[in-house]
Amino acid sequence: MPGYSLHRENEDQLLDELMQQVRNKEKIDERSMWQKIADWAQARSIYMLHYCTGCGAIELPPTMTSRFDMERFGIGPMATPRQADVLLITGYLAAKTLRRVILTYEQMQTPKFVMGFGSCTLNGGIYYDSYSTIQRLDLYLPVDLYIAGCMPRPEAIIMGFNRLKQMISSGDIQGWKDYEKRHDWYRKNQDKALKGEVYVTR
Amino acid sequence: MSPKKRVAMELDPLFERLQPAEVFFTPDGKQLFLLLEPERFMDGLVTLKNAGFSHLSLVSCVDWLERGEFELVYHLLRWEDGKRVALKVRIDRENPVFQTVLHLWPTARFYERDIHEFFGVVFEGNADREPLFLEHWDDIPPMRKDFDPQPYSQKIFDEREYQHPFVPHIVQANPDRLPWEETIDEAKKGGETNGGK
Amino acid sequence: MAENNLELTRNQKEVELFFGPNHPGMHGNFSVHLKLEGDTVVQAEPVPGFLHRGFEKLMERRLWMSNLALIPRICVPEPDINEMVYAMAVERLSELQVPPRGNWIRVLILELARINAHLMSIGGLGGASGLYTDMYWAMTERDWILDIFEKITGARVYHMYIVIGGVRQDLPEGIVPFILERLDGLERRLKEFHDLLYKNPVLHARLKDRLILNRSMCEEMCITGIGLRATGIPHDIRRVDPYAAYEEMDFDIPTGEKGDALTRGHLKLLEVEQSIRIIRQVLAKIPSGPVRQKPLGNALRWRVPAGETFEHVESSRGEYGYYVVSDGSEKPYRIHVRGASYPQGLYGVQRYMPGTRIEDVALWLGTMDFCPPEIDR
Repeated sequence: MPGYSLHRENEDQLLDELMQQVRNKEKIDERSMWQKIADWAQARSIYMLHYCTGCGAIELPPTMTSRFDMERFGIGPMATPRQADVLLITGYLAAKTLRRVILTYEQMQTPKFVMGFGSCTLNGGIYYDSYSTIQRLDLYLPVDLYIAGCMPRPEAIIMGFNRLKQMISSGDIQGWKDYEKRHDWYRKNQDKALKGEVYVTR
Repeated sequence: MSPKKRVAMELDPLFERLQPAEVFFTPDGKQLFLLLEPERFMDGLVTLKNAGFSHLSLVSCVDWLERGEFELVYHLLRWEDGKRVALKVRIDRENPVFQTVLHLWPTARFYERDIHEFFGVVFEGNADREPLFLEHWDDIPPMRKDFDPQPYSQKIFDEREYQHPFVPHIVQANPDRLPWEETIDEAKKGGETNGGK
Repeated sequence: MAENNLELTRNQKEVELFFGPNHPGMHGNFSVHLKLEGDTVVQAEPVPGFLHRGFEKLMERRLWMSNLALIPRICVPEPDINEMVYAMAVERLSELQVPPRGNWIRVLILELARINAHLMSIGGLGGASGLYTDMYWAMTERDWILDIFEKITGARVYHMYIVIGGVRQDLPEGIVPFILERLDGLERRLKEFHDLLYKNPVLHARLKDRLILNRSMCEEMCITGIGLRATGIPHDIRRVDPYAAYEEMDFDIPTGEKGDALTRGHLKLLEVEQSIRIIRQVLAKIPSGPVRQKPLGNALRWRVPAGETFEHVESSRGEYGYYVVSDGSEKPYRIHVRGASYPQGLYGVQRYMPGTRIEDVALWLGTMDFCPPEIDR
């Protein structure tokens, strides 16, 4: 696979491959001036919804408090989903929690982002054979960023947030637009996992 | 005197009143599990509670599939000297019904509701039967031994598919030499080792 | 955020409110359905299950050795007690003897975990009552202790250090001065916590002589831990039924008198002081020798002899226990977890939360030693 090993027959082939990668990454920025300013400002003021959905949430208070201070990056906690930007799914999700999380996600105002913490959001993690936890998060919600670990350290969380900020200010975030376009597909997956009852206000 | 005999002798008067069908010990003799008949069970609990075992730690249920029985275990603790006793009773698996202990320990309400949800045991006298942990559960009670969680999980929650482009290159190992001895010999000969690739 | 569902009932006075899973005052992922008349709670129904993973079923499907990776995740703030009771249960069934140095290191780890959990609970009290300074201080203090864990075991939160037969590896070099330095710093700052929390007139007005848990309530609910000791009864499993090396330790059991919320909070600080005292004794007098007695044979093929046992330890919230049944095979037959906050989290909320006011609901849950993952398993 290209880029994984630099062992090549000669240097010309290596140079050709690297130039091909650079050309693939060049994109034309189609945003208007106002949109660029708005994205620049949004990246520096992110409100994180304070909802501890799983066991990964135990490393969030250390990230927010004095030692690994998250507020210096412009990230702060927010109590209500109506005014939050980022929904953190910290770890596994039981099906019972998934119903409330979907309602919470749909209450958030656009632009909104979802970050998956830990390996349980990727492929079920250590609870791969449990009868009550989901296996893949991006079938039910559009995930913009995953942070690996079980559970991720505060340094890894901050690295993930920095990457999120970079993605926002360059206009690469497409998660909420994808949810609007393909809502039927997401809804079909949610119905299958939650047995028909998706919106629960209790 | 072996620890088992010592424990048995200290609790001897209680033994005679309880008349257990069987007595189980842990290998070092420090913990005691008494199996009682269902008819004598309530009297046994009341006797132990009046003898100072006032703390109910846990009510558990064990599913013995081959014997066709559920076994309910009530763990009791006496705070004054730290002695622990557990009382067991066996009920039928096809029609699991038992009496409640709410009148002795009100906190057993939620232990019994938990066992009803996960095993299907009906406790007469405890009207709380709403599901506590599971929502929209449509299968047999999940802690029974004939329920397999992995097929259920694969049916309802889709898994991530991974592609495996890596094809391993298997070399027949020489059973007389350890694998790394072959590599060291080749390096000494001056050839290229496998570790560089 | 709590959803305001304005359903007027027949007598037109009750309001139904879901103190739901997504709430900044909630200690974890747990929900309580409240019915209010004015500002007073008249009915409270606990709704657990948001963190349910089916642990007991998962543990039956893994080998005895593989379970060690799974069980710390049952109780998230204090994961070492899980490993301790599991190891104690298997050692009792297989008749293994843990070497003395292994037992003393286990005491060290358990007391450090107790300090961690108490600091987290003190921070939660600050968060539930609006005093965010306290939360920031407590989380920072907790981080200094997590550094000690990282040096000894290699991980911050889930250690997997206490294994069957002892502990996984010996203490690293230079750890004793490191721990003593951190403990000195913690002891100095405990006085500041005391001044901030327990000499604070606002917290006195909110917690003193309120949210009372008296002796008859404790006996009815079978509550253990700080809730029981705040009423004056010095019951502690470390004294009454000692395990590891606690028989050789010299420590007091702080008790209170009235059982109100302020006493329960104050006892947490006193217990942190006692834990520091135990750790200093351990570091001064620890014996040398091996740290682990390995069972014979391949670790992936251990068979524990058939039998059953119920093991319990004194966690920061009360009596935490496992009931382990083995039928002689490579996997456990049945493991039942007794969470320490099961009585007060379920029966306590249903029976004793009615009568409090709406602004005390978060404090009720915050001061009652409450941890949702061990209820839901």
